[in-house]
Amino acid sequence: MAPSSPSNTGSQPTSTTENDIQPFFVLHKASPRRKDRTSVWQGKCRKRNELSPSRSAKKLKLSTADDCDGHLDQKLQIETFEIVWTKIESTIKDVLRDLNDSVFSNIQQWIVECFRTTTLIGEPSIAEATRSFPLLNNTTPGKLNSAFVISRNIEFVDDVLTFEELGLFLKSHGCHVAMLSSMEFSLKNGIAGCLKALLRGFLGSAFDPADISTLASWYREQGNYNKPLVLIINDLERCCGSVLTDFILMLSEWVVKVPIILVFGVATTVDAPRNIFPSHALECLCPSTFMLVTPAERMDAIVEAVLVKHCTTFNIGHKVAQLLRNYFINQDGTVTSFIRALKVACLLHFSMEPLSLIQGRILADDQEGTSGLSPETMLKYMDELPLYARNKMVDQTKKSMAEGLSELATVQKLWSTVVLCLYEAGKYSRVQLLDLFCEALNHVLSPSRDSVCHTRDDKDHGLSAINDSSQQYSIMQSGGFICQIVRRVRDLPSGKLEQLIESWDKLTADISEIHEKLKILQSSVRCQDEQSAHRSSKDTERSVSRVSVDIDKDSRMSNLQAVTFLDDLVRNYLRPIEGMPFHEIFCFKNVEKLQLVLIGDPRRRIQVDLLEFHNILRCSCCNKSSNALLPSMHDSSIMYSLAQEHGDLINLHDWFQSFRTIVLQLTNKRKQKSKQTPLPKKRKDMNGSGDQNEAAIQARFCRGVTELQITGLVRMPSKRRPDFVQRIAFGL
Amino acid sequence: MGDNGNWEEEEEEEDELEFSRNYFLAKELASSVKKSKHKLTDIDVVDEQELREAAMNIQPKHENEIALLLDSYIAMYPEWLLSLRCGFALLMYGFGSKKALIEDFASQTLTEYSVVVINGYLQTINLKQVVIAVAELLCDQVKAKRRVSSRQQPFNTQSMEDLLTFLYEVEVEDNDCFVCVVIHNIDGPGLRDSETQQYLARLASCTHIRIVASIDHVNAPLFWDKNMAHTQFNWCWYHVPTFSPYKVEGMFYPLILAHGSASQSVKTAAIVLQSLTPNAQSVFKVLAEYQLSHPEEGMPINDLYSVCRERFLVSSQVTLNSHLTEFKDHELVKTKRHSDGQDCLHIPLTTEALQKVLLEIS
Repeated sequence: MAPSSPSNTGSQPTSTTENDIQPFFVLHKASPRRKDRTSVWQGKCRKRNELSPSRSAKKLKLSTADDCDGHLDQKLQIETFEIVWTKIESTIKDVLRDLNDSVFSNIQQWIVECFRTTTLIGEPSIAEATRSFPLLNNTTPGKLNSAFVISRNIEFVDDVLTFEELGLFLKSHGCHVAMLSSMEFSLKNGIAGCLKALLRGFLGSAFDPADISTLASWYREQGNYNKPLVLIINDLERCCGSVLTDFILMLSEWVVKVPIILVFGVATTVDAPRNIFPSHALECLCPSTFMLVTPAERMDAIVEAVLVKHCTTFNIGHKVAQLLRNYFINQDGTVTSFIRALKVACLLHFSMEPLSLIQGRILADDQEGTSGLSPETMLKYMDELPLYARNKMVDQTKKSMAEGLSELATVQKLWSTVVLCLYEAGKYSRVQLLDLFCEALNHVLSPSRDSVCHTRDDKDHGLSAINDSSQQYSIMQSGGFICQIVRRVRDLPSGKLEQLIESWDKLTADISEIHEKLKILQSSVRCQDEQSAHRSSKDTERSVSRVSVDIDKDSRMSNLQAVTFLDDLVRNYLRPIEGMPFHEIFCFKNVEKLQLVLIGDPRRRIQVDLLEFHNILRCSCCNKSSNALLPSMHDSSIMYSLAQEHGDLINLHDWFQSFRTIVLQLTNKRKQKSKQTPLPKKRKDMNGSGDQNEAAIQARFCRGVTELQITGLVRMPSKRRPDFVQRIAFGL
Repeated sequence: MGDNGNWEEEEEEEDELEFSRNYFLAKELASSVKKSKHKLTDIDVVDEQELREAAMNIQPKHENEIALLLDSYIAMYPEWLLSLRCGFALLMYGFGSKKALIEDFASQTLTEYSVVVINGYLQTINLKQVVIAVAELLCDQVKAKRRVSSRQQPFNTQSMEDLLTFLYEVEVEDNDCFVCVVIHNIDGPGLRDSETQQYLARLASCTHIRIVASIDHVNAPLFWDKNMAHTQFNWCWYHVPTFSPYKVEGMFYPLILAHGSASQSVKTAAIVLQSLTPNAQSVFKVLAEYQLSHPEEGMPINDLYSVCRERFLVSSQVTLNSHLTEFKDHELVKTKRHSDGQDCLHIPLTTEALQKVLLEIS
């Protein structure tokens, strides 16, 4: 092996083999760090150079100055990532909290009510409460107050956080809260496991014979009994019904001593509890129902806050947006994975685009809330960028770049306002913000307006590839979501139109350019209202139908004006970020890379590795354009290619024979060339070396089967079918 | 066709599986040639010893290209490190053993962090021991940074729940302080059950733990539900085919041509025997000793009975028969008719394998 390959480096060969059969081992302990990270990195680089004189020149180069610089920059990258992502994450949290706020306080109100009624029944005395058998009182049937919180989202993962937040919310409002998940309610754990988890949840430590009387006496202790006990079980459908039923029956027997209030997360419908519990368990529950917001609403709220309102923090290109949208709609469907995808995009952005590091500086200074990005501050930030990032700007004068950046921020602000206005209008035609957002980012569709700005930028800055689509664009013709929205606005009844214009008024309040235009719209609409009112009062004697036609005409006029207003906004201000110079700093566009890191596709890719291994190894020996299998190819590749010719069952004998034929090809040819005896057909005909060869071929075949078995592409012969292996994957 | 009935039986079996099969493949099968009737035994297999030797000395192909390929991944180390430091976990996949690559990455770039390696390709792994080791390392790492009061309870007496809670809640000021857990073959036989995967996912979700794992099985992602994959593991996928041979990973797979799958391996025989009573084991030893000294012939049942009685291993023929039934059920013993018409017992293992089994159970 080449001296520089990772397979040779690392630990000593002897210890490696020893470690290989250990279930686990400590590879190394953390080397003590010095306070100053910089010096650590430099020190290490030097040390590594001394230690590795035998390494290839390439690797030496890697570990010298470049490497040190790289590590320094990485610190900056991490800092920037953390600043930016913390901001995005807190925005998302705020959004979700706002969304859940009303439901949470409703639940809390309900808990307070329940608690009041249980305390009204009267507390048992200490002696009663600590008795080892439950209090049973015929006058008070053991009913458990339970809330069914319906998430209307089958993707449970999105609600894990919601219920955690609910727990925190209730805790902060003076409840004892315990959270149990479906994992505790499994047949394997049984009722004892649930109890253990319950005690752990309330009391905070484990008790070995878990007994509910422990909980009862704890609850009677000083200070504990004046708070309600709330147990949250966040995924009712995934719990084992029988265990949960037993648990509920037990709790209901103890309800007087332990007035526990249950909160269930229900993913499907209101019927779910009826499907899970038998009737005698249902009788123990005193149910109330609460509704959470739907995933679609959640999604829209997040996109609105993160990608539209705060679009200057971090943004994504059109293709990336489409990938995320398709991933959300077609494949995964969880808000969680959407957020995660954004996070990965964010990480990749800072790791790949050096200039993006400026974002961290901007945001760190922006904490006070001033959002003005003057060219001067931009200049300051640029001076602080690391060398490798600054090198990138060598062909631009810094000043023009600073100007470009602050202009970019302004344009972005306009863009986001327009998207919000459109979204507001889109609420009447049920357009999802995510769809609208994707369309608004599409720079191919967008017109080449404001050409003055573009041409100037084009000359000055080489950073951006500006798509100068000269096609005339009309929002009414495009046929997308924007078009749909505008059509709806055209047909909106006047009352709703007024509402819409009012909401636009709020949205555009701090954007003077748009706000002025809106004022004109408002005044003309008002003017028409007055006119129509005037006319209708004047023409009372005229037929009613005529009046209504006139009013209709007037309101249509206002609708058309609103459409013109929207058209104007889209035409002038909906400039996608990808068309702007320097957008690379804020906008992540590398959709291929994101897809690779985000969505692994082992099933397809491992097969492609085997079938097209030449594209990866790029060896000269197998470089033949024809599809023929060559003996020089990787053994497992030959075998997997051969397996493609079989059905779902591969006859081992046939497979071996064809493998053998392929790997012997080369020797045959050679033999034929040197005019030796014709191809020996059987092993017995071969000479001694051929015999060894046969063993080697068989061993290679065995290894090939093993390797395909490890990858899960074939399954071993069963007892009933000892001569066949089974293929698992068909087609890529 | 002499074995027609046999084939019908096979086809019935196929029908059972039909629904789960790829539709198009089924169509293709119906129209294509009839299934081959060649037997595995038709292959003229070399001596097993020779085969194993040859398997140890397979000439590697494309050595230089593979070395270059591995070298090309060095350029990705900073990116991987960045992902880890930003809180993601790495999941390496692609054809070829990734063991050397990952360990090289860990020892080159993760020097500031403690690294624990789990060899998931092994059959049994005690995850609790791993978690204890991780907790100890993290504690050391924290202590090195600031003085903390030593824990009142040693880790090895705590339950898995407590350990995970400790790891989850441990407070470290520095965000960039973590223990890296390298898991070779997180889809391996020792880690495949759902409970273990749940524990690993919970381990991965701890703030100061980072996972670098590799998978080889094409269906490995099916282990994880969305919560595990997206929020707990938080994978960044990296496609790193290496084409390096699966040397250690394949160690525990039987060679398909070595006696087929019918023969008992030493390991399984030893495992079965260890689960039996000491008396049963001793009966087996008697039989084994006889076979070692008389390799050609089997042991007559009567002889076995008398030896066993002499050694007070069995009291009656019935007891011996019950032991023998147990052995036969596990294919540890086979009966064959001797030339003189007597039933003889023999163990279907080679002399060498038998010696190993005896060593294992003694």
